[in-house]
Amino acid sequence: MELKRVVVTGLGTVNATARSASTFHRALRAGHCGIGPVSVFDPSDFRTQTGGEVRDFKPRDMLPRFISLKRLSRSDAMAMVAAIEALTDAGLFPVPDQLRPELGVVIGGGAGGMLECEAVYRDYLQGRGKRPAYSAFASFGCASSADQIAGQLQLMGPKTTFMTACSSGATAVGYARDLVQTGAATAIVCGGTEPLCRITYSAFNSLQAVDPQYCKPFDKNRQGMSLGEGAGVMILEELGHAERRGARVYGEVLGYGVSCDAHHMTSPDPEGGGAVLAMARALEDAGIPPAAVDYINAHGTGTPANDKIETKAIKHLFGERAYRIPVSSSKSMTGHTLGAAGAIEGVVSLLALHHGFIPPTIHCTTPDPECDLDYVTEGARAADLKIVLSNSFAFGGNNTALVFSKFSQQGERP
Amino acid sequence: MNRRVVISGVGMVTPLGVGKTVFMERLFGGSCGIRPISLFDATPFTAKLAAEVVGFTAKDFIRPASIRRMDRLSQMIAAAARMALDDAGLAIDEQNRDRVGVMLGTCFGGTDIAAQFGKVLFTEGPRRVNPILVPNTVMNAPAGHVAIELGVRGINTTVNHREVGPETALTYAAAQIMRGRVEAVLTGGGDILSEFFFNVLSHFKTLSPQNGETEGLRPFDVRGNGTVVGEGVGIVCLESLDGALARGAIPYCEIVGWGQSAAPALAGGWPTETDGPCLAINRALAAAGIAADEIDYICASANGGPRLDRLEADALRQIFSHTGGGPWITALKGALGESLSAGGMRAAAMALALNHQRLAPIVGLHQPIADLNFVRSANARAPIHYGLLNTISSGGTFVAVICKKIEEQRGVER
Repeated sequence: MELKRVVVTGLGTVNATARSASTFHRALRAGHCGIGPVSVFDPSDFRTQTGGEVRDFKPRDMLPRFISLKRLSRSDAMAMVAAIEALTDAGLFPVPDQLRPELGVVIGGGAGGMLECEAVYRDYLQGRGKRPAYSAFASFGCASSADQIAGQLQLMGPKTTFMTACSSGATAVGYARDLVQTGAATAIVCGGTEPLCRITYSAFNSLQAVDPQYCKPFDKNRQGMSLGEGAGVMILEELGHAERRGARVYGEVLGYGVSCDAHHMTSPDPEGGGAVLAMARALEDAGIPPAAVDYINAHGTGTPANDKIETKAIKHLFGERAYRIPVSSSKSMTGHTLGAAGAIEGVVSLLALHHGFIPPTIHCTTPDPECDLDYVTEGARAADLKIVLSNSFAFGGNNTALVFSKFSQQGERP
Repeated sequence: MNRRVVISGVGMVTPLGVGKTVFMERLFGGSCGIRPISLFDATPFTAKLAAEVVGFTAKDFIRPASIRRMDRLSQMIAAAARMALDDAGLAIDEQNRDRVGVMLGTCFGGTDIAAQFGKVLFTEGPRRVNPILVPNTVMNAPAGHVAIELGVRGINTTVNHREVGPETALTYAAAQIMRGRVEAVLTGGGDILSEFFFNVLSHFKTLSPQNGETEGLRPFDVRGNGTVVGEGVGIVCLESLDGALARGAIPYCEIVGWGQSAAPALAGGWPTETDGPCLAINRALAAAGIAADEIDYICASANGGPRLDRLEADALRQIFSHTGGGPWITALKGALGESLSAGGMRAAAMALALNHQRLAPIVGLHQPIADLNFVRSANARAPIHYGLLNTISSGGTFVAVICKKIEEQRGVER
């Protein structure tokens, strides 16, 4: 079977720092922090009260009238906004009729409709109200985002949803790339979405994995992550199709790798074995040597364990050259958007490739001897990037790494 | 993309029993796993029946230290994965551990545990929640546990898309093996019965009995009045044909093609048009390079719900009715209940049918809704070369997988 080249022709995002990919580009350049007090629910009883919230999110004002918001959870609505932005950005909205059977949807999820469902559950447990609003459960689970996007836009290509916790969004992009590469679809609306919700917030707090202030990835005094929310969506398209319609190309999805630590459900393998495997597989799939990587968009959650082990894994794979590769964490700005993170960071990677810059790691001010790489702490940096590696690691030991490249017609490999 | 992919091992924890021997005899013999609910008090609900897993003892398959860390679904999945691996005769060692993957599908996953966690959160407050529960609240917990239990670090992922998770995971796994990215994958999945979700489902009025009629799951039957909830797990070991034969293993069947599609449906509701399911089946036939009249046996997803069964019968008639008597059609949920992620059990059942040239009868069917070649009698035998695993999910997602009898081992039964 002939494998097709897969390019990215549209981007969309909603997150704590931005309501669109273009405003996200400016926020990343400015090193804007989206982490602040949480208001989507009352956090006053929790150990911490901050997060990367999408404030004043009004999907009705951001979507065409014909898109119904009935039974869309917050998570679904964020995915829908990002998906329509990405399709519009790609010049594929409204979706051409002849493309509908060949256009798929692959979404990585996290808590799905939990924000709405947990409120119903709470009322039920606390005996409030006459009868629980069971209709909220129509959008329970992660599948409803993809169902709503495909259903309302009448898309008939392959559709599915991954839930691998913090690597869901990255895995969705990787799988979508396979589908386009092997001809199962001409294009895929792919990405991830995640809402802030009480159960997730409480879970990470109970594990003491959350920084009470804001996350400080790779900083000596880091105390944990900041939970965030949002959606990141990109349009993956078969190169020939993109060229025939004269689409703008942000970059190419060169490869991806997935592995499992097989070590512990919530703690990463201290040797970083699974992380190294995922990165190495992604480079192998992309057909490029480690020496070709110009920038690493790190998982960089800000937990003591992740940042130390990710640094170790990068050194293991890249050797001495690790010290010359810029590595930054956009979670320092957006917070950790869990199921959406891999996709939002995919959007970051493509903006970086397309616009020629490296986004910074903010809040990293005190050097840590165990985190001694170039974390781009001084602010965004201009750079002509050819190859970007984006890492996503997760609960369950689920690791995914994505490799994006600047588009060149010849497709020559470094 | 040219390696041939086979099912070389099966493992199951089902309402018809644990392990392939008992499962097979009861399945082909027409036993029914549906009984009055014993896991919780069903008095408050209009539906009182379910297909519960029987005869499962986790310690027969999993290390005692691991059992403590796993929720009930993870225990069943880890046990089934161990059975599938043993059945395939595949030993995990340092040489192959990085090239064996785990790719699962689940609909509700660990949300039973999330509900337990949330109950404390919403009744006693965030400071009283139990962090020990957290790792099992996520959908990808079973896949993480399996990787740890078996020590495998290959591709690891979890599809969380309503009723179509295991089938989607299986097609993804088959593609990984075809491409040579991985040697073997344990794939399939499952769901468990929980009071919480039984409560929710009963409010959506999809469970038999509706209108106070006699309760029961009757696939493709004019008296079908809703489905009966089930639970259970099926895991199959996929590997390359060459790999299996080199180890001296006798595969059950080959995976020769699949198709995916989508169609609009109301949030969480069933689609109404046959174009979506027909598109997936036609894509699968094209991928397998065969004509519709070469399919001998179909395992349908009918669950006794009038809308789904009518839609599927119409779609199958549209594609297969012109082929003389048409293929044998079965639907296993009459015996297994609607466990949402039934694809693992159904794939294992398909492998057994092709290997033993035996047909599983439709339990609960007395007055067919369509003039199709339904399997009505127990212990039937027929020559079957190509089998179709057809899956229709609420929300409008479709996967069709075509399996083929292994010619290389003609006449050999496992």
